[in-house]
Amino acid sequence: MVVTALSLVLSLVFSAMLPVCAQQPDSAAQALKAMSIEQLMNLEVISVLGRPERLAQAASAIQVITQEDIRRSGASSLPEALRVATNLQVAQVDSRQWAISARGFNSTTANKLLVLIAGRTVYTPLFSGVFWDAQHVALEDVDRIEVISGPGATLWGANAVNGVINVITKDAGASAGLLVSGGGGTELRGAGTARYGGALGSSARYRIYGTGFARDPTALSSGQDAPDDWHLGQGGVRLDWDVSTASRVTLQGDLYDGRIGQATAGDIAVSGGNVMAKWSRTISATSNLAAQLYYDRTHRIIPGTFGEDLDIYDLDVRHRTRLGTRHDVAWGAGYRLINDWVTNTAALAFLPAHVARQWFTGFVQDEISVAADRVHIALGTKLEHNDYSGFEIQPSARIDWTTGPSGTLWAALSRALRTPSRIDRELFAPGQPPYFLAGGPDFLSEKALVYELGYRYQQGGVSLAVATFYSRYHGLRSLEQANPPAAAPLVIANGQDGESYGAEVAADYRPTGRWRLRAGYTELRIHVWPNPGSTDTTRGATENRTPDRQFLLRSSLDLPAGLRFDTGLRAIGAIANQQVPAYTELSAKLTWQAAAHLGLSVVGQNLLHRRHAEFAAPATRREIERGVYGRVEWRF
Amino acid sequence: MALLSRLALLRVVPSLVAVLLVGGPALASQSAEAPEYQVKAVFLFNFAQFVDWPPVARPDSAPLVIGVLGGDPFGRVLDATVRGEHLGARPFAVLRFARVEDIGACDILFISQSEGSRVEAILAGLGNRAILTVSDINGFATRGGMIHFVTDKHRIRLKINVDAARAARLTISSKLLRLAEIVSTQGR
Repeated sequence: MVVTALSLVLSLVFSAMLPVCAQQPDSAAQALKAMSIEQLMNLEVISVLGRPERLAQAASAIQVITQEDIRRSGASSLPEALRVATNLQVAQVDSRQWAISARGFNSTTANKLLVLIAGRTVYTPLFSGVFWDAQHVALEDVDRIEVISGPGATLWGANAVNGVINVITKDAGASAGLLVSGGGGTELRGAGTARYGGALGSSARYRIYGTGFARDPTALSSGQDAPDDWHLGQGGVRLDWDVSTASRVTLQGDLYDGRIGQATAGDIAVSGGNVMAKWSRTISATSNLAAQLYYDRTHRIIPGTFGEDLDIYDLDVRHRTRLGTRHDVAWGAGYRLINDWVTNTAALAFLPAHVARQWFTGFVQDEISVAADRVHIALGTKLEHNDYSGFEIQPSARIDWTTGPSGTLWAALSRALRTPSRIDRELFAPGQPPYFLAGGPDFLSEKALVYELGYRYQQGGVSLAVATFYSRYHGLRSLEQANPPAAAPLVIANGQDGESYGAEVAADYRPTGRWRLRAGYTELRIHVWPNPGSTDTTRGATENRTPDRQFLLRSSLDLPAGLRFDTGLRAIGAIANQQVPAYTELSAKLTWQAAAHLGLSVVGQNLLHRRHAEFAAPATRREIERGVYGRVEWRF
Repeated sequence: MALLSRLALLRVVPSLVAVLLVGGPALASQSAEAPEYQVKAVFLFNFAQFVDWPPVARPDSAPLVIGVLGGDPFGRVLDATVRGEHLGARPFAVLRFARVEDIGACDILFISQSEGSRVEAILAGLGNRAILTVSDINGFATRGGMIHFVTDKHRIRLKINVDAARAARLTISSKLLRLAEIVSTQGR
């Protein structure tokens, strides 16, 4: 029946395109070629409007990681590539787990960040965080990664409280031909990717890829191997079809299967896949429409802890239109359905074990141009209904002001929510009564009110961006004593408030055409306190494990004879409540483009120490070892 | 429960239908407008007639190559525009490049908006090669590119950086320059 619904939706989408299929682009080209340059310049053109996110990005702390940045960084995984964005906190926990967040509240279950990969929302409804071990991406296929620190809830949706990571993959037309890459070394034991892109007729392009890797275990504090070696294989296809000059269809899907070692109780198994259909069409010069539908399945077994089978169905429709000369209005609606089956264990239980939950979302934003396009104001709101906390509203107001030929000043005020997830309401530990910890039946959304002010400057080979923020949080997750003063059992509630403030500075400087330097510095303070009546004693310690400051510096040098040399230095402050010491680490990559079709590279990661800790309390900590790997890439 | 979820999925279908129907009637009202990249493809084709390249040792029948660097916004329209066309004895050809290092023989290079953050590096990578660089990336001409497509009130205007063209030994016809806004980067 799901299949029936899918095919119905697709047939509707395709039948709506039929009138346009009849247009012959070749004859249109002939008519235009008969025109003079003057006539062409007087022709009114239909532009595909930029994405509605444009202004939200212009007036926000955004950093973009390009394909070239990823390649030059020597990253071998998506989390490693995210280290390029200086406005993120990225810490490796063990071979498969990462703690990644923006503006603090970091943990392996960091829950105030929205992560999108090729249009899919990948945070899990289990705890609103990301299982990074199930989010592998063939990095060669990434077009860019947009990283926004600060709220993006109005346009992107719930969970975008402190940041958005949007991984955008390449159009199939940008990956034509055959690419084969492979290599290996000490920590990344082996990795390989094969990709082929071709054309189907004159209007459709496709690519097909397969990729896989094997990773060495991380180390215990004693120096012995933690048995967390990791293997993963993944493959997928993408098809981009220009149905007409005004409409386009994208179909894509991926499948993966991975296995990670554990000290006890057998290997962790992670597998899954997704399939997506996207459609967009330009209705007129001032209006466009886009829709996407996807299905995503995840299977996970962590022997001794829990197992999960999760199905996600997600539909999103967006329309954008210009009203008059000043207003650019975007609106959209979405529906999301999850079916989640948890296999409970003696250690913990989600009760009920199986749930189906729905989300209904809508958003509207008006972008207003004033003062001869030098000032833009965006007013918008997201409206959401979820099965836990009912209707929720997330409005924002943003303004950007072009102060001169090189500078932009921006400010924003946003309300953003972290809506309840299964862990807040339905988690019980141990797996049988009497429970030490119980989910809170009254847990509601965590709320944030965020004030931001920033400035961006670009002139010649220099660019500088400064973003400052103050966030006030209400109803942060707390652990309340059910029968005080008894320390247990504990019930999850919204008993804490908090605030955070800080500044993110990013600079980009090109001393010569062949040398680029980039630096980023973040200073961050977070305070969390229990509200009157709360018996919580954690003061946010279970959620907030973030250094006060970090500094990142990256150098990219083009040398003669097809050589490129890249280095990345990161100095990360201590995480006080986990006793993780401050550390400084260095990565380096030397690439030799031996021929137009052949590239050879050597990458060193975490070169300064034999091993170092980035996250977790001493008792459970894994240490990250120095790693070196070589890589060969052919393109035909 | 499974039945419930299927019913829920079916419930969203009518709303999608409504949106598609709203989009439908608007299609019929299209007037004498042309899709942006269809027009830009024709501009690229026309530029070949307004530019003189420095003489090089190559067969007279070598193709005149229009390259697209980065994410291709044209789809099939650029290929359709130049199909069967010649400049003198030279047939037109369209090639697509992922990276500046990949660019071999090329006469006109369109740099896609996907490359917006790396314009300077791309232009540095091209050096003074005799390639006419064209793009719709913001500030392209002032950043050292040759021809910038500027969309103003839904019409395409040209900004031409004559110094950049001169450095690559390209001569742009005064017929084209008359219609363009001239940008100079000399003295920077």
